[in-house]
Amino acid sequence: MTRVSSESQIVDFVRAARAGRSPFEIVAGGTRRGVGRPMASHEGKALPVLDVSGVAGIIDYQPEELIVTARPGTSLAELKALLAAKNQCLGFDPVSWTFLTPPPFASTSAATGTSPASAPMRAQGRRASDASTLGGAVSADASGPGRLRHGPPRDSLLGFRAVNGFGEAFRGGAKVVKNVTGFDLPKLVCGAFGTLMVLSEMTFRVYPRPNARATLILRDRAPDTGFAALRTIWKSALEPSGLSYIPGSAKFPGLGDVGEGAALIRFEAAEMPLSEKLAAARLLVGGAEEISEGDRIFTAIGEGALFQNSDLEVWRVSVPPAEAARVAGAIGSPHWLGDWAGGLLWIGARGEDAPRIRALAMETGGHAMLLRAPASRRAELGLFAPQAPPLAALTASVRAAFDPLSLFNPGRL
Amino acid sequence: MLFTPPDPEILARRDSIIAALKAIVPDGVVEVATDLSAYESDALPAYRERPLVAVLPRNAEQVSRILRYSAEAGVPIVPRGAGTSLSGGALPRADGILIGMGRMSRILEIDYENRCVTLEPGVTNAAITRAVEAEGFYYAPDPSSQIACTIGGNIAENSGGLHCLKYGLTTNNLMGVKFVLPGGEMIILGGKAPGAGGLDLLGLITGSEGLLGIVVEATVRIIRKAPVTRTMLASFDAVPDAGACVAAIIGDGLVPAAMEFMDRATIGAVEAYIAPGYPDAEAILIIDADGVEAEVSDAMARIAGHVVACGGSVREATETLARAKMWAGRKAAFSAMGRLAPDMICMDGTIPRHALPRVLEGIAGMSKRYGLGCCNVFHAGDGNLHPLILFDAMKEGELAEAEAFGADILRLCVEVGGVLTGEHGVGIEKRDLMPEMFSVADLDQQHRVKCAFDSGGLFNPGKVFPTLSACIEQGHIHVHGAQLPRPDLPRF
Repeated sequence: MTRVSSESQIVDFVRAARAGRSPFEIVAGGTRRGVGRPMASHEGKALPVLDVSGVAGIIDYQPEELIVTARPGTSLAELKALLAAKNQCLGFDPVSWTFLTPPPFASTSAATGTSPASAPMRAQGRRASDASTLGGAVSADASGPGRLRHGPPRDSLLGFRAVNGFGEAFRGGAKVVKNVTGFDLPKLVCGAFGTLMVLSEMTFRVYPRPNARATLILRDRAPDTGFAALRTIWKSALEPSGLSYIPGSAKFPGLGDVGEGAALIRFEAAEMPLSEKLAAARLLVGGAEEISEGDRIFTAIGEGALFQNSDLEVWRVSVPPAEAARVAGAIGSPHWLGDWAGGLLWIGARGEDAPRIRALAMETGGHAMLLRAPASRRAELGLFAPQAPPLAALTASVRAAFDPLSLFNPGRL
Repeated sequence: MLFTPPDPEILARRDSIIAALKAIVPDGVVEVATDLSAYESDALPAYRERPLVAVLPRNAEQVSRILRYSAEAGVPIVPRGAGTSLSGGALPRADGILIGMGRMSRILEIDYENRCVTLEPGVTNAAITRAVEAEGFYYAPDPSSQIACTIGGNIAENSGGLHCLKYGLTTNNLMGVKFVLPGGEMIILGGKAPGAGGLDLLGLITGSEGLLGIVVEATVRIIRKAPVTRTMLASFDAVPDAGACVAAIIGDGLVPAAMEFMDRATIGAVEAYIAPGYPDAEAILIIDADGVEAEVSDAMARIAGHVVACGGSVREATETLARAKMWAGRKAAFSAMGRLAPDMICMDGTIPRHALPRVLEGIAGMSKRYGLGCCNVFHAGDGNLHPLILFDAMKEGELAEAEAFGADILRLCVEVGGVLTGEHGVGIEKRDLMPEMFSVADLDQQHRVKCAFDSGGLFNPGKVFPTLSACIEQGHIHVHGAQLPRPDLPRF
């Protein structure tokens, strides 16, 4: 375990790793170490760990520019609080996947000799939502129900600084909201799971945070009619900030009896527009009841609370929204829910369901991400299904363009 | 020098190249000099070059075969949509094949339940909205050239428009593509489902200016038209007041659907051209707010408050006709400039919004120093400037002076923390300014990405990057299989 706190220290570490042909694992808050294919050296040993949790702190925040620049190790909780104080927020609704991280990371931390003061260990002692970092959330493309409104991390990340596998510090993008100068490298950062570079600085577009919010619930809806109601709102001009469906079979904590299932619709706006939106939504989807605990429920959906106390394998299945009910039915697990108007299905499944889940996702043009499973299963199935050969070759080429020796999180993605 | 000199060896093979292309697209090879002159330039007419040959494929399979041939024969490729690039992105090469995508212009599927349209790259931007507006939907990115420019070109340039402050650029509204790589292999990126399921290569190819491959099919997001849209015209007696007003509006948490700035010179030119009835002022802002009724009323009231507080006055339009008239002047701004001078260059830097007054003052100073007129019209909400430099290309040395003026403006944009281009692209025009914004390490990294797609350096060579060494010098390990053709030749 090597702890760094600056870009120049990252450069030194990468150059040494490059000289020694020694791949390593990049860790900040450590809350997502159990996601993706387990990593190991060529000899099958645990990898050295680069602890970047010290590359933290806000560099520049200009509320009137709607832009914030921070180091990737900055805690999400800290950044959210800073923005909230100015009535602003991150657009992609970052989530920590709090309930999916099975503490402690016994295998990894034992193998890497983690010291008690190190960040990954701290994550065990603290709530994951406090340890979770900006860089981790973006690298894992981890966004919650609110992503519906302002898009995924890729729509918010404007620029970054990082160190590539050549040990060179470089930048991509910029610190303005509109920029097409050179290749759009910030897009590649999002969802790369740390396989391209070690980040040292990130600049985001931020959004005004409306002062009022409300959630409507439609009870006793079967999946097809429930998702259809969500899509009706999604296709409207009402700009919802949450459209989720929870089947009765899921027994979602704190939601009570919802019959066949519940369609949840959230809006955020100033007060007057909010009541107009609620009235318009009711005209579109019929008698919907307003509930007060909406934000708590949407937070729980985004964090994966449904799977907190289960030992099922957990999938995030991305499908065209109109296919959600059919795909969920075909998978057949009672433990599931739908988010993003149906574009995302959270599925809890038994091991034997994996091939069917992957096949169904692929058939719709989507994909299935294995978010939680035992290490052996993650090694077998990978985070995503293998890509078609030309795309796999191109992906390998692009990856080699940043990290030709596969030093960073090798094999994870 | 714009490009490295044409490769005489390729020029000598012209007949066999034409024959090979005719075998792929029998009815779509343009070879006669007078016909080829139509492709000599795009919307940056200061640069001209006649292509070796032009080929106009009708389908993805033909595109794939053309690219396979180009790789095997070692002939450069320059992709072209409608040729409306303002940065010379589609400027041909004398030793290259120009591949025109205009004949692939079908809308393949409209899927309202998944809020998307799947189409071929030659469909015009405006045609997407036309296809879905009866159902109350539209395609958000709206570059001013939208009646002519095509979605393929929009993807290549990551085009923006008047409404991208709220609704994003092309990249934020593009869901998936079928993409043919150099060498002819086709990949599918994204689609109707959210997310990438791997590296976000869709985001990477968007805005890559024809350097990485060719889009043969795209799926774009459509949006429901807001029930209420209102337009406000705010006028100011001093330019810095307008700049301060923009900052106040954004800082108050308002995200107008559009917020456009015009200075006195532009207002005068537009009035003389189509008389939209603009007030006599040093600067005006045209601002759109959209949403539900209460949202728009609230926004309009707050915006009006900021305008007055900044010393401006307000005029509002709610009727469609009155709104259209207010916008007509802005949309005609570039055409109106034609009355002021025979030639103009449109710059495109983006700056942090707080730097607006400083940069506008700087541009005014440069205008005096160079003795060339400059009008300012720009997307104020996102800080994307469009200074229009007026000159006369017939006058000895004026083009060079105008270009130097433009380069100075962009240097100032970078100096205040901004960028060289917000929506027009680097192309040939701003290529040599890239080192002003990026270090050697930054550019090396981008070059390696280019090599990952195009190890032969055959795709739109000479654009975007000032000098590119051969891919092999980057220590790049290429996985695609293609050999570097003729490594002895400088390609960029």
